[in-house]
Amino acid sequence: MEQTDHNNDRPRMQFASVLTDIHFWVPLAVLIGGLLLLKTIH
Amino acid sequence: MLGVLSGLAAGAWLGAAEAPTKLVSVGVSPLVISLVMVIGVFLARWSLPALILGTSSIGADLRRTPHLIIWAVLAGCIWAVANTLTIFAIRDIGLSIAFPLWNSNSLLGILWGVIFFNELRHADWRRWTGVLGGALVMCTGATLLAVASSTQAPAAHPMRGISAALGAGILWGTMYIPYRKAYLSGMNPLSFVTFFTFGELGMISALAIGYLGLATLWHELKSAQTVLFWLMLGGFIWVIGDLFQQYAAKYVGISRGIPLSNSNQLWGLLWGIFVFGELHGSSPSTYMQVIGGSLLMMLGVGAIAFSSATDKEQVQWREAAQRESRRYSIAADYVEARLQGMRMAGEIKPARTWVDWMLVVAATIIFMVFAVMAHAPIMSLHWGAAALLITSTLLLLLVCSLALWRTTRFN
Repeated sequence: MEQTDHNNDRPRMQFASVLTDIHFWVPLAVLIGGLLLLKTIH
Repeated sequence: MLGVLSGLAAGAWLGAAEAPTKLVSVGVSPLVISLVMVIGVFLARWSLPALILGTSSIGADLRRTPHLIIWAVLAGCIWAVANTLTIFAIRDIGLSIAFPLWNSNSLLGILWGVIFFNELRHADWRRWTGVLGGALVMCTGATLLAVASSTQAPAAHPMRGISAALGAGILWGTMYIPYRKAYLSGMNPLSFVTFFTFGELGMISALAIGYLGLATLWHELKSAQTVLFWLMLGGFIWVIGDLFQQYAAKYVGISRGIPLSNSNQLWGLLWGIFVFGELHGSSPSTYMQVIGGSLLMMLGVGAIAFSSATDKEQVQWREAAQRESRRYSIAADYVEARLQGMRMAGEIKPARTWVDWMLVVAATIIFMVFAVMAHAPIMSLHWGAAALLITSTLLLLLVCSLALWRTTRFN
């Protein structure tokens, strides 16, 4: 049962890990910056 | 050695990808060129991994590291925006200024590698000098080559072009964070690229529709139907180069892998000069710039190639991998095995199914349909030089593929 609970929690825990991972925010911030730059120069 | 070889093969194939696009001389919008190349890329990114390992292997990787889909799609989106920015940069300031600016991505890649993935940590000064100095020398060589191969058109909007080129460099340099993260987590490069391509195709489609409008885009695609095959072929060849680039990022890290892959400019220039006769009738100073730039690029490649990671640095890489393993609950033995290019004990050998063969057949049919519609370009080519370059590029493919297969079974 514990194993099943753990498996059910895994996606939620992984999502939380993604949102607190600087490796996610740095590329995302750069992507948003790139899109804004594209909008400005077009 | 495997990573260095992959980086060199990546440079050759990424450079060769420019050749089919040079056959397209009709007035097609740059955004349409990008979109059609990416469609070729999409087909290649699904059919080649299916052919090499099978989609079952991709599914197995996905079940172990599902969180990496986010990074793969993110990296694909970054690539598409960067590529579009380069189009604006070339238009506004010309290739000679734009190229060195976005080629600085290797320096940013080194910075991210050091900060986030422990690359070059505990490396001695000789390795620091080799990698950083090599990247700087390559940037200088790239500047000379770009100046020699450009038309030196007056800049229409210098600030706009410089912003676009620098923006592209920052985006491409940052795109390697997802690459390295995926490989430190044990994901197979062939699996990563299949998800990367969704971000790539989705973003470039959104940009093309957003900037041109659906009706204009369709009209442009229809009017350019005789050259679509050459662009898709360019995309296909580019994918082979990119796959080697992924293996380079995996086995030598991004601080060494990116500069080695950036040698594609040298190969692109070889195709331009010897096959398409681009610098025919140029002044001696232009030829001196080409020779000087090429020598500098080769010197930089050599410096990086001979600055392989020491055991102490490899320990730091493992620490970065263990961080990923703990954070995302990935089996430590899986990460360790994949870092060494091996399968985990008890891991099922990937096998191809009918789905894989269907993907390969479908991609081949689509390419054949566009090949039938294509017109052979009317231009003079130096076939002897083309044969020599094709042979060298295929030789690199063969040698590198054999090395990857024997050592890692493409893991």
